[in-house]
Amino acid sequence: MIRLEHVSKTYKTLARPALDDVSVSVDKGEFVFLIGPSGSGKSTFLQLLLREEVPTRGRVIVADWNVAKLPRRRVPKLRQRVGCVFQDFRLLNNKTVFGNVAFALEVIGKPRHTIRKVVPEVLQLVGLDGKADRMPVELSGGEQQRVAIARAFVNRPLVLMCDEPTGNLDPDTSQDIMLLLERINRTGTTLVMATHDHSIVDSMRRRVVELSHGQVIRDDARGVYGVGR
Amino acid sequence: MRASFVSSEVVNGLRRNVSMTIAMILTTAVSLTLLGGGLIVVRKVDQAQESLRDAADVVVYMSEDVSANDPECANDPCSGIRSELEQASGVRSVQYLNRQAIFERATEEFSNQPQLQELVRPKALPAALWVELGDNVTPRAIKEQFEGRTGIGSINDQSQFVRNMVNKLNDVRDGTFLIAALQAFAALLLISNTIQLSAFNRRTETGIMRLVGASRWYTQLPFLLEAMVSGIIGSVAATGLLMVLKEAFLDGLMKPLTNANLLTPVSYADVAFVAPILVLVASAISGLTGYLTLRLYVRI
Repeated sequence: MIRLEHVSKTYKTLARPALDDVSVSVDKGEFVFLIGPSGSGKSTFLQLLLREEVPTRGRVIVADWNVAKLPRRRVPKLRQRVGCVFQDFRLLNNKTVFGNVAFALEVIGKPRHTIRKVVPEVLQLVGLDGKADRMPVELSGGEQQRVAIARAFVNRPLVLMCDEPTGNLDPDTSQDIMLLLERINRTGTTLVMATHDHSIVDSMRRRVVELSHGQVIRDDARGVYGVGR
Repeated sequence: MRASFVSSEVVNGLRRNVSMTIAMILTTAVSLTLLGGGLIVVRKVDQAQESLRDAADVVVYMSEDVSANDPECANDPCSGIRSELEQASGVRSVQYLNRQAIFERATEEFSNQPQLQELVRPKALPAALWVELGDNVTPRAIKEQFEGRTGIGSINDQSQFVRNMVNKLNDVRDGTFLIAALQAFAALLLISNTIQLSAFNRRTETGIMRLVGASRWYTQLPFLLEAMVSGIIGSVAATGLLMVLKEAFLDGLMKPLTNANLLTPVSYADVAFVAPILVLVASAISGLTGYLTLRLYVRI
């Protein structure tokens, strides 16, 4: 589903590469934690998958698309197949829960009847049924993140990328969010999650790819956050 | 593409940025009013040239003796002068108008000035030879060749007058266009700023749109339409302003020229003629400015 082949990424403003000869392969339906300290290259890794950035060297393949070679006009098609969730939720405060989730479908031109059918289904999946008419400010942090997950998942992406989705949440709420992400993963969606949260990585025992100074220093099939913990 | 979604985004964008939108509409309206004014001047000059094209280039007014005694220009000196004029190099046509014909022409010309019409009497007007010239001869040459001849009262170089008037109107048009161009430049900058501000205000929306796979076109369209809607409202306001200006100032200012039949009055038909041009110009300029701004300055 995802393949990085000898990928390097250099920014003009940085002396050392953000990613340095990284090769990683993620199968369909896998759940992968991407860990490492700040500046290790996790965000660049995710940005390459979304074609927010292009690699300086190497190939990035997502769902059979060679991302770096993808013509500009085809990039939206890639992004419709790759959902993203962020630490800061990025909800539209002037829209309801329903409006926020529907927005992701409206802007890709989905018909209204599809939106009316699909949005309630996904709100139920993330545990927000009955809260469709609430505004984001009326929701807790965990609920807001559920809305963000619903928005990322409503178009049934092949890959869901989560950039520290529990970074702003308390431990209990974080656990709930992880259960939700696990449920989404069980539907066959490949999940790549960048995190600093030791307890989540340790408790879930999923594949762990650790980055340091732009290089993969560990790739464990059922890993924990720190070796020897 | 869902039109309802795009239109609601456009309305929200205009509402959120209301002060900048109003500034953009007003600046566009003022520059388009000036542009419209310039276009009306061009139209009036064209019409004036068209109507004056039929007029003679040189009018040779005959003496009192000839005017009174030779209504057909059948005897010398009138017939001699006429045949000399007809044979002169560069003369395209010569037409004799006796007192009665000149009177009828004057009556027609002063049709909207009854006081002047009252004063005109056939006997007060001299007969004349109306001379139309080709390109290879100047009215001055004709004047020099025939001035002072027996039977000729005076020679009037009509084309000089027409040229002077057209030049003055062209100066007015150029001045109006220059101010319109400066205003249009200000409007372009304002449109560009407004779009940048609008895109900044909605960076969360556009960021989400980009990430969920909205096409560049879908993301940019609301901004482009905002600019175009403002431009079109500006052009409609400019049309209204032209009508108000026509009623309040132009009709009065142009009265001496229209009364003298040098220009036709500015009519609502003239305003209606330039209105669609203003709408088209406004849509094209605001759309193009919006597109370039989004491409150059805004990451979408």
